[in-house]
Amino acid sequence: MSDALFPVVAITMGIMMLAAGIVALYVRRLLSAIIIVAFVSLSASVLFLLMDATDVAVTEAAVGAVVSTMIFLWGRGKIGGDR
Amino acid sequence: MIRSIFGLILVLVLGAIMVAVVPDIEYSEEIHGVGLHYTSQGMQETGSANLVTAVIVAYRGLDTLGEVVVLFCASTSVVLILSLYPLSLKVSRPSFIVAQTSRLLPAPILLLGLYLIAHSHLSPGGGFPGGAVIASAFLLVMLGGTGVPGSSRNLAAVESLAGLSFGLLGFWGVMKLGQFLNNLVLGTGTPGSLVSAGLIPLISLVIGIKVASELSSVFAAFRYKGGH
Amino acid sequence: MLELYHWSIAGTALGLVLIGLWGVLTRRNIIRIALAFTLADTGVNLLLVWTGHIPDRTSPIHDSTTAALNATEAMVDPLPQALVLTSIVIGVAVAALFVVVAVLASRRTGSADIRRLRELRW
Repeated sequence: MSDALFPVVAITMGIMMLAAGIVALYVRRLLSAIIIVAFVSLSASVLFLLMDATDVAVTEAAVGAVVSTMIFLWGRGKIGGDR
Repeated sequence: MIRSIFGLILVLVLGAIMVAVVPDIEYSEEIHGVGLHYTSQGMQETGSANLVTAVIVAYRGLDTLGEVVVLFCASTSVVLILSLYPLSLKVSRPSFIVAQTSRLLPAPILLLGLYLIAHSHLSPGGGFPGGAVIASAFLLVMLGGTGVPGSSRNLAAVESLAGLSFGLLGFWGVMKLGQFLNNLVLGTGTPGSLVSAGLIPLISLVIGIKVASELSSVFAAFRYKGGH
Repeated sequence: MLELYHWSIAGTALGLVLIGLWGVLTRRNIIRIALAFTLADTGVNLLLVWTGHIPDRTSPIHDSTTAALNATEAMVDPLPQALVLTSIVIGVAVAALFVVVAVLASRRTGSADIRRLRELRW
């Protein structure tokens, strides 16, 4: 990917993340909200990569996206009720 | 309703403050302050090609020790709470896809985690993401199985041993060079080779083992004490 | 165009923080409040890394191409990245504790609605 594409990717990603954040708060199913927040975390990882923070990108993808999603999924299963 | 209005006011006030403050952060063309020293001298002083790892493990190793302690406290409380108030002890059967995937994937995931830990001073990675990746391999194994393991006492032993070695590696620096967690007790070696950068690979390994065992014990508590 | 790129990331970070705060203040499901918390956390991390970012530079890892150059003029600041790495791990630990306590609290009241937790009222 050439450097000229960076602004386009960053702006598209930013708009998608903000929209996904709002959707995650208002979507009816809790499962969808959890998966959407995981998507926001992965997009943040891409933005970290664009900002030349490779270590942070790896950590966000491994810790922020996977582990916290697992924790939320467990909590959803335990609380019951998918709203 | 009144709650939404209060919330909206708070959000708008915070947003106004941020929009006023953030543009004042200098759009600088160069590095300032202590980051300048880390960038210019980091590789010579620590022998680590990856400067972020150099900052985390060598220059600010004590902070990382504190971070590991925080993570330890959090995982201990999770396991403790779930041991005191177990939710259920039934374990559900995995579906066909999960059962098959949990046989195929853990080995490559484990390899990736070990790579991230071993090359922490050369490429992006380090103890924390590597440990998390290894813990997710264990999670996959747990999700694919149905049996309830006897206890996670071995996990706790591994975790304590890793924490102890972190402290002992720190005191090695006190013994030899009069400074806690001094990185140079082993010599820097050639930057860019696998065996280099003094204590950094060893401390990364210790952090990786500790994070992996902590997260694994959290997942095990979730699955076997939290049911689901 | 480069300016726009630079500020768009800051805008994303600020927006995520505000969305997260809004969610914490107005949502009623405990798990969803924890999710909003995570969103705000991600926004703060983005903003911190953004303060150390300088366009057109490489990541702070020495290799065969950067060794020849003067490192301080070729790389971004490694310090904010190291701080954010710590922050991400602590954030997950906090989220785990949050969810476990929330699950136990909701067991007592019988629903995930935070309004049922009367002990939190003042």
